[in-house]
Amino acid sequence: MGTDKKKWFSLNLTKKKESSSCGCGSNSGGCGSHQKVEKPKKNDGFDQVLNSSMDRRNAFKQLTASLLVGAGAVTTACSVTGDEKTKEKAQIDWEEQFKGNYKLMSDDEKTATVDRLVRRHQLKTGDQLTISSETAEENVLFGYAFNISKCQGYMDCVSACVEENNQDRNSQMEYIRIHEMKDGKGFNFNEADDNFYHEVPADGHFYMGTQCFHCDNPPCVEVCPVQATWKEPDGIVVVDYDWCVGCRYCMAACPYDGRRFNWSKPEVPAEEINKNQHYLGNRLRKKGVMEKCTFCIQRSRKGKNPACVEACPTGARIFGNLLDPDSTIRWVLENKKVFRLKEDLGTEPKFWYFMD
Amino acid sequence: MRIGMIHRVLDSIKAFRLDCKEAKRRSEVMKVRKALHKQYRKRKHSLVCLLLIATVTASCKHHEEEYHSVVDKIEAKSKDYKETSISSEIFIQDLHTIEISEGGHTFLIPERKGQIKSYACTECHTKPLAQLKGKDLKKAHWNLTLRHADEHTMNCITCHNGNDMDNLKSLTGAKIDFNKSYNLCKQCHTKQFEDWKGGAHGKRLESWANPRASMTCVNCHNPHKPSFEKRWPAKFNTQKVKERK
Repeated sequence: MGTDKKKWFSLNLTKKKESSSCGCGSNSGGCGSHQKVEKPKKNDGFDQVLNSSMDRRNAFKQLTASLLVGAGAVTTACSVTGDEKTKEKAQIDWEEQFKGNYKLMSDDEKTATVDRLVRRHQLKTGDQLTISSETAEENVLFGYAFNISKCQGYMDCVSACVEENNQDRNSQMEYIRIHEMKDGKGFNFNEADDNFYHEVPADGHFYMGTQCFHCDNPPCVEVCPVQATWKEPDGIVVVDYDWCVGCRYCMAACPYDGRRFNWSKPEVPAEEINKNQHYLGNRLRKKGVMEKCTFCIQRSRKGKNPACVEACPTGARIFGNLLDPDSTIRWVLENKKVFRLKEDLGTEPKFWYFMD
Repeated sequence: MRIGMIHRVLDSIKAFRLDCKEAKRRSEVMKVRKALHKQYRKRKHSLVCLLLIATVTASCKHHEEEYHSVVDKIEAKSKDYKETSISSEIFIQDLHTIEISEGGHTFLIPERKGQIKSYACTECHTKPLAQLKGKDLKKAHWNLTLRHADEHTMNCITCHNGNDMDNLKSLTGAKIDFNKSYNLCKQCHTKQFEDWKGGAHGKRLESWANPRASMTCVNCHNPHKPSFEKRWPAKFNTQKVKERK
């Protein structure tokens, strides 16, 4: 395994960026091709706050900015001169700012916040979204099965997922990972390649997909200090993006690398936005919050298959209601030799693997 | 010296008396203590009981449900399963499907004949094959190569019937409808057929809900070259490459 295949994200706190080398051998002046280009150093993690040079003026600016947001909202909402649209937007911003945790909202409050979000987007861009606040159906517990013998590594699921769930195009965030593993090495994630680009299936390899497993005993939910993530009655582990404080405890707690963080403001080209959204699902996110696979809650709660299941050309992905004794997922669990990853942790994932 | 001895004896007597007093006092203290202890033990008993109840109830904090594992939960909760209000019908109503019933599984598969461009075959196959093979006639099916098993195992007439082109035929010569071509495949691919009926092989159409609609063999596998071909992945994450440097 080469160093270029490092799969974890390091903060890179101590390493200094090497100065660019030049053909002339020296690092400054002389050959004429040297230009003093000071690349803006990208800070990472808490460096963004702690290591940023800030003078007194800037510090005061940033402090007052947050105060002004609140004050501004009040004044525009109360002003007599502002036009109707700005007033409405301010009113919405105000109410959104002080709304409660989605988990604790009544159905009326849920529809109210969803309506506000739709209206805000309309005021901002002129586009009409549909955001659902559909609740879990009784007698439904979602489960997933993945056929390792069938997956060919085409990655159609990954691209369908990105499009369906409005994931950030800049950082190329992906919920699904397809691991290319060598035959005879077992499930060796350290040596597997999850970012391959060559003709697939490659000889002597097999493919295995991972994503959020929607554990029945999810450790990510346990560690959340603000209860911004929880397990819905139909088994889907969801995040309230407006309640999340971005501490990333859940990311650290997840033993399956199922959670993703928005380091920058997620951006989706207007024409590519999937307008069929759910509050807990693929609605547009903001910077600094967690997100993850939701079994395409906006689709599955209506009865549709998740986007990855629909996109898979090999039929390796099976999704269904675990409580329905006649469902296909139940047939797989009862008739195939199924297993889950890290079963000994007691996380009880609702995502099973099997082979032909 | 004598006086000294007397003093010592007196002292020891004093000490003995004191000891007796002390012992008496002590025994009284012990009595009180024992009584207290008895009371305490009684209380402790009830206290332990209370604690036990408390721990038993509190230990279930993490699992609101009484199930040991998710599999137990599924088993228990699906015992009195009632069909949900979610139906796949709105999603599959536009598909042309036929209902089939195989080995206790009833589900829908896409209708096939309407999808074959030049069905019915007899529209062209008006004459016996031998006559059509001549040089004077326009060539047809020129792009067909059979890459399915080897030539000792299969050729055209393993599945097609030269005398009845509108239908397929089984190994024993029985008629098989194009819409139910899985009957042809299952002759050799028995394991896949079992998995397909149950839902482990093949792909669900549109919805996870009932009624079930699944693809049939020929929707994914070209019967003339059934294995999947190599191709480039749909995606490559350039950002991931940068991050991992």
